[in-house]
Amino acid sequence: MARYGMALDYKNCINCKACEVACKEENGVLLGADKHRIWVGVNEVKGEWPLLDIVSSTFMPSQCQHCEEAPCQMVCPTQATYYDDNHVVRVDSDKCILCSYCMNACPYDARYVDDRTVTVDKCTFCSDTRLARGETTTACQNTCPTKVRTFGDLDDPESEISILLRTREHFSLKAHLGTKPKLFYLT
Amino acid sequence: MSIGILQSGEADKPALPSSITTRTGTRHAKTVPTLCEMCVNKCAAIARVEEGLVTKLDPNPLFPKSRNMLCPRGNAGIQALYDPDRIKQPLIRIGERGDGKFKAVSWEEAYEAILNGTDRFKGLAQILDEEKDNRSTIGYCAGEGMAEHTFRTFLADKLGSSNFVNHASVCLQTTVSGHALTLGGYGTADLANAEYVIMAGANRAEAIITPDTMDLFKRTKGRGATLICVDPRFTNTAAKADRWVPVRAGTDLAFVLALTYVAMEEERYSKAFVREHAHGFEEYKEHILHNRYTPEWAEKITGIPADTIRTISREFMRHAPKAIYYQGRRSTFSIQDFQLRRAQALFSAMGGGVDVKGGIIFGKKLPLGKHEINAPMYANAGERIDKGVAAIIGGSGSWIGWRNRILEGKTPYPVRAMFTYKQNPMLTIPNTAKTRQLFEKMDLVVTIDTMPGDTVIMSDVVLPESTYLEREDPVRSFGGAEPAIALRQKVVEPLYETRPVAEILKGLAQTLTLPLWKITQKYDEDVQEEIEGKKPEEIEAYYRENGFDLTDMFRHSQEEINREMVISKWGEAAWKTLREKGVFYPEMATGFRQLGANVFQYYPEEKKYYSVRKGSFATPSKKIEFILPNMAKKGLDAMPAWREEMHVKTPKGKFKFLTGRHAQFTQNGTANNAVLLDLIHENHLWINKRKAKEMGIAFGDMVEVRSRVGAVTIKAYPTEEIAPDTLFFVHGFGAQSDALSLAYHNGAADNVIIEDVIEPYFGAAAMHTTIVEIRRV
Repeated sequence: MARYGMALDYKNCINCKACEVACKEENGVLLGADKHRIWVGVNEVKGEWPLLDIVSSTFMPSQCQHCEEAPCQMVCPTQATYYDDNHVVRVDSDKCILCSYCMNACPYDARYVDDRTVTVDKCTFCSDTRLARGETTTACQNTCPTKVRTFGDLDDPESEISILLRTREHFSLKAHLGTKPKLFYLT
Repeated sequence: MSIGILQSGEADKPALPSSITTRTGTRHAKTVPTLCEMCVNKCAAIARVEEGLVTKLDPNPLFPKSRNMLCPRGNAGIQALYDPDRIKQPLIRIGERGDGKFKAVSWEEAYEAILNGTDRFKGLAQILDEEKDNRSTIGYCAGEGMAEHTFRTFLADKLGSSNFVNHASVCLQTTVSGHALTLGGYGTADLANAEYVIMAGANRAEAIITPDTMDLFKRTKGRGATLICVDPRFTNTAAKADRWVPVRAGTDLAFVLALTYVAMEEERYSKAFVREHAHGFEEYKEHILHNRYTPEWAEKITGIPADTIRTISREFMRHAPKAIYYQGRRSTFSIQDFQLRRAQALFSAMGGGVDVKGGIIFGKKLPLGKHEINAPMYANAGERIDKGVAAIIGGSGSWIGWRNRILEGKTPYPVRAMFTYKQNPMLTIPNTAKTRQLFEKMDLVVTIDTMPGDTVIMSDVVLPESTYLEREDPVRSFGGAEPAIALRQKVVEPLYETRPVAEILKGLAQTLTLPLWKITQKYDEDVQEEIEGKKPEEIEAYYRENGFDLTDMFRHSQEEINREMVISKWGEAAWKTLREKGVFYPEMATGFRQLGANVFQYYPEEKKYYSVRKGSFATPSKKIEFILPNMAKKGLDAMPAWREEMHVKTPKGKFKFLTGRHAQFTQNGTANNAVLLDLIHENHLWINKRKAKEMGIAFGDMVEVRSRVGAVTIKAYPTEEIAPDTLFFVHGFGAQSDALSLAYHNGAADNVIIEDVIEPYFGAAAMHTTIVEIRRV
């Protein structure tokens, strides 16, 4: 029983996409940019060469925010989307009827359709692969060259993520929507 | 699809995954530590094997060089193993050279064809007989790799040819030599501790090097290290830098000279370091000041504002000695590149940032035992043919100079055979048309590779190498502040009829040794003198004792050699650790600690090898060489100087073409990797957005890019991230081999249009001096 979250030191991200490949290989995600469980958002640099505004260029690694108040879970008519014991937002593919309400409700565009099961899929924090084997990191965290991610239990005050969130300024994506994401971007 | 069709399906079908991305399971899995070979870095990986299938490659946290990371290519290494287009058996050409028609044969048939040829091509026996045992008639080339040494040693020391060329002259030759001749070593940049880094041309956010990439980008953006990125393109490194300095392509030397001028004029360099460790500093100072390499002068050449140059020079020296002008790796941007690298090294040295924490450091390398080779002497083997194409031609040669001499018929004897290993010259050497001519001219082309790329298609005999996950390579020691020994070991048995290089060459040696010994006896007067009047058993003893037995190099397996090399220096326990953990260094047992989920300690701080030279640098004067009198004797510059006549200007209406890398591709070696192609489908031509608009070129339009040596067509990518007089596309695409089903005709190949220009010091390829024109097609 844990309440899993992730802190992202996003300024470290060099947009190499190691996390995307590690995620696909670990979790057997189908190829295709429309089937990414995780991705790196790019804000293209503004200005005209040679006067480019360097701070306008950012890389924002992202994935399912595992919201505490998840709109996807609220709208699901079959309760296919649920919180597991570790507060991870999951999809039960047996219950999913592909109504796609959740995909429309998600403010982070974190869901896609898996062509094999023809159901909705998304980031699971590697719950049924790495975590199920007793590992304590996700594939994306473990492989990252610049160590963007720290995954851990938000309920454990001594966990690395809890300490990070106590000691570093951070923000959430689209915080004004009240979704209470469990992904935290460190500044 | 000639190769695929002709490979026989006789062998038992290997276990293959049912989909490209597999999923890891939760049941017991075998884990095997090994070293990645998706690029040249050799990061440590742990392979997860479930029911005989490799389902995941994870980083091995124990290796100080790669610090628990695998990049996208490292993660996609599974596809190198399971790529359906792999070469699965030895092949012999049955069609015309280059048309891709081969038949699958046994190893014995392949070796026999190398020795005696077929009705399509000549064999080594005939060639060496006609050349009277001049072993240097066999040319050979290799890319960087852990078994490159094995290949080279066999061709050089056992077969006896001097005509070797490798990747250095199309890669890092000038920067390695520039730093070695100046500082006494290329060193490594201590980016974990540097406070100020100038990275010019190098692109560590996209051309990943471990540990540089990981150390640096955690600390930029006001977090400990100030990064100045100098590049005509706004690369990902520029995006992560604290300041991006756009520069006119090929003018970096003027920038460094002006940085130096400011430091000299304002006397901001480290006087103590210069007094103790500089050789020829006063001459250099006089030279820089006298030539008036002012920021205003450099601004006109580089396009970088004089004030910016002043500021960077002052900031650099304020942070020195924890300030580095980053050495770079694939270099030779311009014809002046060697002196550029000299000037960079000297500028770093002026701050005192050499052999100190936070500077360019040399570190320590843990010793390994030696594997001795009994090398025969061949009296008729000629000297290498590229001497004189540049001032200094070392053992790895000048690829372009070497090739062009053969094509121009300017060699003292003919080079008639070509062996290639882990290099794909058809796509990696500037001016592809000439490389094609080289292969067409050969009587015999033998290629060792894992994938049927463009050079394989130009070959007569193809010897399939096992992928890195299927073989053990020579054990390797990795130097640095935190040195370690690491091992690439076999993860799974070879899927197909493939072999590691040592075993490929062992089989070849068994076939060649006696027939070639006969040829030596026929033509080699030294040998004739030695064996004259001797009994057959005495002759056989002479053959064996003097190394003419080509097989003696392979008496022990790679595993046995590795074991001996480790045990002889570090003992049995170290070998056991290396086998089980993939990594060994003496302090590992006590020094290695996990400090956090993402943070590891390898050596305690006080045990790291930051300063090792003790005031005596590995140069002739034992000091930093500000002046190299030997260069002057060769008619070249003893000190870095701007040579206007060597600078290629871009005429109005034309463009300068640049090439480079990005993080999801390792040159053409990954061109057929389905997982990586999923991230970047093809390469695009970067063209300045306003320039493109002016020319009526929109995103995705097909554009022809034409130089004096060739033309390619490629889709346009208009962007403000490149100078208006400059074009760029990434290297590694545009394969012409139809045996690569994903890479075939995908994007454009840079070396089709890059001109074969070499710089005068080492004959290295100057890759950013090609002027091109474009038109929408």
